[in-house]
Amino acid sequence: MNAAACYFLNGMESETSAIARGLRRRDPDLLDRLIEQYQHRLLRFLVYLTGDRQLAQDLFQETWIRVLERGNQYDPKHEFSTWLFTIARNLSIDYLRKKRPASLDELLGEENHSPELPVDNRPSALEVATQHEQAERISAALVCIPAEYREAVVLRFQEGMTLEEIGAVTGAPVGTVKSRLYRGLNALMPLLKGALG
Amino acid sequence: MKRDVHEQVREWIASAGAAGLTDSQPSWVQAHVQDCESCRNYAEAAGQLIRCLRSAPLAADLSLVRTTQMRVRLHAQQLRQKQERLWLICASCALVGLMAATTTPLLWRGFQWMGEWARVSSPVWQVGFALFWIAPALAASVLLLARGTYLTNNGRWQG
Repeated sequence: MNAAACYFLNGMESETSAIARGLRRRDPDLLDRLIEQYQHRLLRFLVYLTGDRQLAQDLFQETWIRVLERGNQYDPKHEFSTWLFTIARNLSIDYLRKKRPASLDELLGEENHSPELPVDNRPSALEVATQHEQAERISAALVCIPAEYREAVVLRFQEGMTLEEIGAVTGAPVGTVKSRLYRGLNALMPLLKGALG
Repeated sequence: MKRDVHEQVREWIASAGAAGLTDSQPSWVQAHVQDCESCRNYAEAAGQLIRCLRSAPLAADLSLVRTTQMRVRLHAQQLRQKQERLWLICASCALVGLMAATTTPLLWRGFQWMGEWARVSSPVWQVGFALFWIAPALAASVLLLARGTYLTNNGRWQG
């Protein structure tokens, strides 16, 4: 391993170790910083996973409460985001199982098929409208594909996780993750045909 | 066999994402994509789809962040208080245990002496000792039960 990689890995490990120490102490300042740092990523993941912004916001809060309660279980050998997304995913599944004992897709009632109105900071009104429309179309398409494909696609292409990290979050082998990504993209392509390019 | 190669290449492209549609792809994928028009089209479509997915803006509201931070801080405080109370209970239990271990033999001898002095049979002073020994724990249990019933009736433990 070269010196730069070594330095990077040591840096990452010291950061995750600092997070682990803070979580064990239940340091409120650290938690505030982490909530701010991961706010958009976590909410986006939950919104796309559940297809319901209100529910995603509730689960967002519950996820951080769980992080606080189980902070001593965080292993600094792994990325914090992987652990965070695993907690969020498990909470979502627990909630959805209690609500309706089947797949995540069943959460979506007929009234919920357009799940998300995204926040947009673009200055132009036309751009804002276009982006809203695009995001809505993407959200609607995502909730139409099976949940296990959806989470793989969201974690890979929106959160930028590696295949191994997705495997750690979902508890699936890398081969399964690859297959889910392939099938997920194949399922999305016809749904987003109009939105592409 | 031919179909398997297409599937393999497409699966590779799908799992590699946008990074896979550049020069970083392995030579066998590159060679296949150059020769196979349908896989080339698939790679382009996948690239467009991934860019489209990445372009979707979605942000958390400031109010959600602030509410979460407040809830987390409050919960952290409650957990700390709970831990302190638990520590106090543990320390009290340890102290009570220690006191009981040291005083029980003395109390036993005291009751034995009183039994002999009052000329009562052994089972009688032994029952007296047992009642005296268990009385504080019984009283504490009754008080705690009464407190629990009172709190439940007043709805303080509900919700």
